[in-house]
Amino acid sequence: MSNIAGKAYAMNVITPIGRWRAICNLIIFCLVKTRVMAKRLDGLKTLSLIHYARWVIIRPHQFPRLSEEQPKENLKYAYMLFFSNFNGSWTQYVDSFHMAIPGGLDLLWKKNIRYPKSVPLQPFHSYIVHNQIWTEHYYNPYPLASANDVKAAVALKPALCEFIHTSENLSDEEFARQYKAFLFANQAYLGKMAPAPVVSLANQATQERRRLNELYGRLDQDQPKGQTHDD
Amino acid sequence: MMINTVEPTPLTLLCPIKNGAVGEQSYASITREYLQSLENHDRSPMAAVPDTFLCRFFILNDVFYEGSPAQEDHLQSKYLTFCCNFHGDTETYLRGFWQHAEKAIREIWRYCVAFDKVNDADSFVAYIKKCTLKTTYYFNGSTGVPLAEQLKALYLKQELSQFACDTQGHSSQQLRAAFRHFVARTQPDNLAEPTWRPGQNFLS
Repeated sequence: MSNIAGKAYAMNVITPIGRWRAICNLIIFCLVKTRVMAKRLDGLKTLSLIHYARWVIIRPHQFPRLSEEQPKENLKYAYMLFFSNFNGSWTQYVDSFHMAIPGGLDLLWKKNIRYPKSVPLQPFHSYIVHNQIWTEHYYNPYPLASANDVKAAVALKPALCEFIHTSENLSDEEFARQYKAFLFANQAYLGKMAPAPVVSLANQATQERRRLNELYGRLDQDQPKGQTHDD
Repeated sequence: MMINTVEPTPLTLLCPIKNGAVGEQSYASITREYLQSLENHDRSPMAAVPDTFLCRFFILNDVFYEGSPAQEDHLQSKYLTFCCNFHGDTETYLRGFWQHAEKAIREIWRYCVAFDKVNDADSFVAYIKKCTLKTTYYFNGSTGVPLAEQLKALYLKQELSQFACDTQGHSSQQLRAAFRHFVARTQPDNLAEPTWRPGQNFLS
């Protein structure tokens, strides 16, 4: 069980909303997709540590019921599910959210039962901790990369391909000049990646366990048949 | 930073788990144990599923009580929750999911209500559609271009950054020769290779 895969952290939060309030919140979510209201969430764009995030409001009758034998849900509240994929630690993320879009958070969690508002920070922390669910399996296709790395790489690749194409027939001197100009123009997209730094003691322990598992797994494969580690 | 405008597709599932047990262990607990036992990174079964970006599984045991004056609320079933971001349309993705991870799918969804009727890609797609929740609001802070494109781009970013360091102080002739070698080695237009593997968590 881990909320962490490489440089990404998976957050799952489920919070109750009054059944009728949920309709009001659904309307708010529709409105924040419009140009005027979207400004309330502009701060989200500055949080470049987020890969993807989503909010899902589910009303009591919308919980999937796939068979007559499955008991019917009999819920008093609707629920809002929030899922996020971000880089860095839990604290960095929650603090960034609180700093960048306090008004937006209060709008999106408006009228959720006992939502304390995003300011001050400590009650907001407690609210998220209370309603967070741990991930059983988290998969990240690029554990070495942050969201910014991915965006930078996707921007860099076409620029590199174009430079390769346009520099084919240049003299060596002109090539060197153009190469420097290319690097200068794309310097924001450059930078080497490396495995994620340790973000918590729990994560460090998990990584150490995996390292040992892989080490002994490799020893198992390397050992001639009939031999053990104790041989 | 310039962001590619291709949008990823979000998929959120709540799949009810049967209220039963094998011996003293509930179906939900067995499912959880299986999910926790899955290998990580490039050995995860999800690494084989084409165009999968970040995704997760967890078990929704129950909802939380927020304290007085809120009322207590409880779920009648536990739910296997799957939350995924991917490139392309949902049906193509799900067919690829079945094709490349059928064994893991059968284990993960084994104790879910009505999953016993799933026996091929068509029935899997139909089943998943019944469990799908509509996304109310989606924020894309990254990109939705195909995964192979993203992984090749990351590989090139890494290699070019190293190349820029290695060739500092080179003469024009040396730089040109080194760059030709770099292009031949990295094959920027070839998405298949050399590139990063899905889930690769170390640098070779």
